[in-house]
Amino acid sequence: MKPRAIVLTGDGINCGDETLFALQIAGFDPLLTHTSDLLSNPKILKDAKLLALPGGFSFGDEIASGKVLAIKLEAALKDSLKEFVDEGKLVIGICNGFQCLVQMGLLPESEKEGVRLASLARNNGKKFINRWVQLSVDSKVSCPWLEGLTEFDLPIRHGEGRLSPAKDSEEAVKKQAPLRYSLEVNGSFDRISGLTNAKGNVFGLMPHPEAFVRWTQHPSWTRLTSLPDKAPPGLRIFQNAHSMVAN
Amino acid sequence: MTQGAKYRENEHVLEISKTATICVAVISEAEHHNSQSFPLYWLLVDKESLTDGKIPSSMQKDISAVLADSLSQEVLACIPEERSKWLERFAKKEYKHFAERQFLPGVTDNLAHTVEEALRLKGLKGIIKVASGRGFLFKEKSGDADAISEMLIYKEYHPLTDRFVVHETSDDGAKLLKFPHVVLPETPRVENVNLELSDANLEALSKERLLALNLDEMKAIRQYYRLDKTKADRKSHGMPEMPTDVELEVLAQTWSEHCKHKIFNAKITHIDNSKPRELRSETITSLYKTYIKAATKKLSQWRKDLLSVFEDNAGVVKWDNETAVCFKVETHNSPSALEPYGGALTGILGVNRDILGTGLGAKPLFNTDIFCFAYPSPSLPQRPKLLPAKAILDGVRKGVEDGGNKSGIPTVNGAIFFDPGYRAKPLVFCGTGGLLPLHIKAGNETRDAVKKHTQAGDLIIMAGGRVGKDGIHGATFSSESLNEGSPMSAVQIGDPFTQKRLLDFVIDARDAGLITGITDNGAGGLSSSVGEMANITGGAIIHLDRVPTKYPGLADWEVVVSESQERMTISTNDFDGIKKLAEKHNVEVSNIGEFTNKGYFEVQNNGKTVALLDLEFLHDGCPILSLESQWSPAQITMKTGKQPEHLGRVLLQLLKHPNICSREPIIRQYDHEVRGQSVIKPMMGPAQKAPCDAAVLLPRLTADLDRAPALAVSNGLCPRLSEHDPYLMAQCAVDEAVRNAVCVGADPDTLSLLDNFCWPDPVYSDSNPQGKRHLAELVRCCQGLYDAVIAYGAPLISGKDSMKNNFDDGALKLAIPPTLLISCMGRVPEARFARSMEFKKAGDLIYILSAGVLGLAASHYEEFNGWQSIMLPELDLDRAPTLYRRLHTAIKSGWIHSAHDISEGGLAACVAESVIGSRNGASLDVGEYHKYLSNLYEERGTQAFKSWDFVTRADALLFGEGPGHIVVSINRDHQSDFERHFEGLTSIKIGEVTAEQQLNIVDSEMKPEEKDLISLSTQAMKTAWETALPFD
Repeated sequence: MKPRAIVLTGDGINCGDETLFALQIAGFDPLLTHTSDLLSNPKILKDAKLLALPGGFSFGDEIASGKVLAIKLEAALKDSLKEFVDEGKLVIGICNGFQCLVQMGLLPESEKEGVRLASLARNNGKKFINRWVQLSVDSKVSCPWLEGLTEFDLPIRHGEGRLSPAKDSEEAVKKQAPLRYSLEVNGSFDRISGLTNAKGNVFGLMPHPEAFVRWTQHPSWTRLTSLPDKAPPGLRIFQNAHSMVAN
Repeated sequence: MTQGAKYRENEHVLEISKTATICVAVISEAEHHNSQSFPLYWLLVDKESLTDGKIPSSMQKDISAVLADSLSQEVLACIPEERSKWLERFAKKEYKHFAERQFLPGVTDNLAHTVEEALRLKGLKGIIKVASGRGFLFKEKSGDADAISEMLIYKEYHPLTDRFVVHETSDDGAKLLKFPHVVLPETPRVENVNLELSDANLEALSKERLLALNLDEMKAIRQYYRLDKTKADRKSHGMPEMPTDVELEVLAQTWSEHCKHKIFNAKITHIDNSKPRELRSETITSLYKTYIKAATKKLSQWRKDLLSVFEDNAGVVKWDNETAVCFKVETHNSPSALEPYGGALTGILGVNRDILGTGLGAKPLFNTDIFCFAYPSPSLPQRPKLLPAKAILDGVRKGVEDGGNKSGIPTVNGAIFFDPGYRAKPLVFCGTGGLLPLHIKAGNETRDAVKKHTQAGDLIIMAGGRVGKDGIHGATFSSESLNEGSPMSAVQIGDPFTQKRLLDFVIDARDAGLITGITDNGAGGLSSSVGEMANITGGAIIHLDRVPTKYPGLADWEVVVSESQERMTISTNDFDGIKKLAEKHNVEVSNIGEFTNKGYFEVQNNGKTVALLDLEFLHDGCPILSLESQWSPAQITMKTGKQPEHLGRVLLQLLKHPNICSREPIIRQYDHEVRGQSVIKPMMGPAQKAPCDAAVLLPRLTADLDRAPALAVSNGLCPRLSEHDPYLMAQCAVDEAVRNAVCVGADPDTLSLLDNFCWPDPVYSDSNPQGKRHLAELVRCCQGLYDAVIAYGAPLISGKDSMKNNFDDGALKLAIPPTLLISCMGRVPEARFARSMEFKKAGDLIYILSAGVLGLAASHYEEFNGWQSIMLPELDLDRAPTLYRRLHTAIKSGWIHSAHDISEGGLAACVAESVIGSRNGASLDVGEYHKYLSNLYEERGTQAFKSWDFVTRADALLFGEGPGHIVVSINRDHQSDFERHFEGLTSIKIGEVTAEQQLNIVDSEMKPEEKDLISLSTQAMKTAWETALPFD
């Protein structure tokens, strides 16, 4: 049986369809689930192996990106989510989903309950950016989601992606950062583009892996004389997730 | 009922005296700059939620948790009277002025709506309503209050939407802004209007009530009320014989130019002075039927994939056995001239709703946006009622960013075109494409989802936002005539978040089989949406007492014609099902009436009929306009000069031109990839610098996407040719759209086109003496459009016109250049065939494909030199379609590595762009092309070419612009295949792609000392091309 994945949608989440598709071709049995349905029936998490918080503009990105969705989920789901994470099940937050995980304090992981170690602030340059960037994997930070990947390209599409650690939290944040921008793009601390918890089951990143699941998505694919047979790096991340739950 | 709705309803009964306001400022820790700004909020709460007039500490804590980032921000929250402490604090930090910005009452405040919801989610009790704003602090050197207001106008506030007040920090705080309550004067809900008046008084009445109906139309309405049948009907419904204001407004809206396209349906006497006297005059019964509908009809015998054209909110074309794609392009020019941000935002959200209202509801796939602006310059005319040109640019750009990004719809294609003529009005074209299933299951029934299935007895559901004064006779209001509490009706700001929820809800409701029919509430509001759907069943009745409003006090007619955004009108036979689903999606839905088969459009309020209109009269009673047009060929005085010495320098200057330079900084701010469907993006290539001719995307996410069919989306627009001949302008616009689509890999036999006309007023009157000329231009444009559409076999499937693009404040008259935008979609047989325009590999051969002649008239090169010629480009409509078909086969065969159309800046700019986008250079010898043109010159004889003495001059060859030309680079292994493939057509080898990052162009036909034309490094061209456009 294919592992069940819950893909959150509604309230301004935009990337539900393509995240669902990416999980599907990676071998999951994904279910697009509206926030209202998850809130009224948190039990559906019981059967799931993975929860995806996709990208988008939840609540119009007003106040701060991901903030109001975080308030909504925390108010009704705090315990269910904690249980889900504690059981070692997978959570991925992409872009706005990552912002939401950071707002909830799930990433970066903090030793003290309720104390956030970092925020995702407005990009340096103050502008929304949609472009493809090169990412590099820090092998010193264990992250099974990135297994087999070292340097790869993904698109970023955000206005608030600059990771800003709280005072004296810099080192704690670095320890949780397996993914960096190869070049400076938005002023993010230590060029960090993704974070994971110590256990490695919660992963959040600003770039969009669901936007690189076929080769014809890459901006210079038209230079290729033939399309490669192997999975593109974005798809690889979802396939890694599949290996994590299939074992 | 959702929680939000309940609270908002409370507001109607809640007395202001029972409320209190909490004022909030969210200050960042770095509070030491010369100036800074931060969010302000006014929270209207139930008085009882305060303790002895003070904010309880738990409330204080929750407010901080919701509104501030605890890592970097501090919250000041207090009752209004205590804000003097804020001023003291600001003064202590040596700030001299504190400015407040607040939305005017009734203006859509998206941030506030989210804050309301967030505070409630946090568990805060007693929140009634929120208003958001911004605070600004200035040290002494920023100048006095007037200087600050002057500095920030249109940048940080707009007088039509915002209140902006500057205080001194030494003030006592009494004048700080309070909660912006909407207060409406008591007005009668319904009035009767006497039409038994003299002609002059009828016209005056139309003007006074802003009905925009002419005398014939007013008389036709009066005649309807004189009929015995009308009188009897009205009597039986307890109505007076005289029309009500509700009825007049409904008629005025339904018969408006915007909705009825009276000019396109007018009877036109067209005089063409270029013809012999006896052939000069012809009568055209309807431009729309004669040229647009007729072309599509002719082509529809070959195009069986056209499922719905010109009927629904968008044109619908079959995609595969399960789905159809649809496409619609709208303009939002006048609103964007007034308040650019709101204008563009509502333009996008509006056209998204057109898609959502197509068939039983299509899902938006992509947005396109095309802007025509005047480039900001001190030489532009300045008038009090003309917004600064730069404010228009920035506002529109931001509106598109928010409209697309927040809705999760990628902005995949567009154009920005500058011409001083657009000082009269900026043109903002917003397009959206959507995906529609062919069939929907509803119970045991399978419905054709391309059609509407509304039946008599179905309920009328209004879904989404509430009704306010938004957009009621908007454009005619002026800021002076408004009092303190008037809701702003002139300007609308869209709410992408509310609409995103509405969109998700509609798609779910559609798939659940709950929708029998749907359309959007755009221009004309309920009057238009319900009025149009009533045609399906033969009648409708609306109960105004069931229509939720944003605030009390609206007159009945206002509720009926209000253009409040984010609303859909749905017909259903299962309101319970709709309601349940809407609650899940946090969307407000109301059952506001019923579709009938009684033949009337009826409106009731609390059981009393306030409008009763015969449906046939409402839709077909409008008299047909009779207009006159007069065409004389353009009189253009030739003014040309010698070829400049350094053509390389000219090329660099052209690459810097605002119509040619890179759009990258703007493109990067639009999400063009969301939904994961992109194949060809706006910027491709190794450094993402290659400006692609058109977008290619995958409408459906299914297996093996690299081999799945993909959709190409392009546009064409050549307004500078209008001055010479609108017939040619139309042909070139069609050709450009077609050519762009073919360049990225679309099959030329699968293209569908959309027409959008933006014209200066073509109705002659004393105040519009140019009317006949502009109408003649429209006639010629339609003729050119017809001929091109037939030649390419690309049918028109949807269109729109905007006919009053003038500025006239009594002192200055301005008119836009007549502009036709052609949008195009077509099928790329497999995604992997799609092509980008940059050169790919050293050694590839470069060819120019030609079907016509490039010209200097209206070119950017000519503008650069200050010349004016009549060397017009030509499009060979006999050969171009074949040329494009052959190119398509060559692309599918894998021979073509890049294809790029020659447009602004000519051959040189075209090749320069393909170099800039690549890691390569190019070495060109245009000698063969030169020889080809010389032969053409000989063949035609000098007579035909009288006007182009310099057809073979190097500058004309490099910088001439026009239709019918494409530059391709090909894999050199396929040189002979390629050349054989194009036999009988014009395909000329002009060079090859090099490894060296350099562009060299020589002409071996020239004398040795004149043969070196251009030698430039890629870096020099890139630097020039990346000259920034004047956007913030």
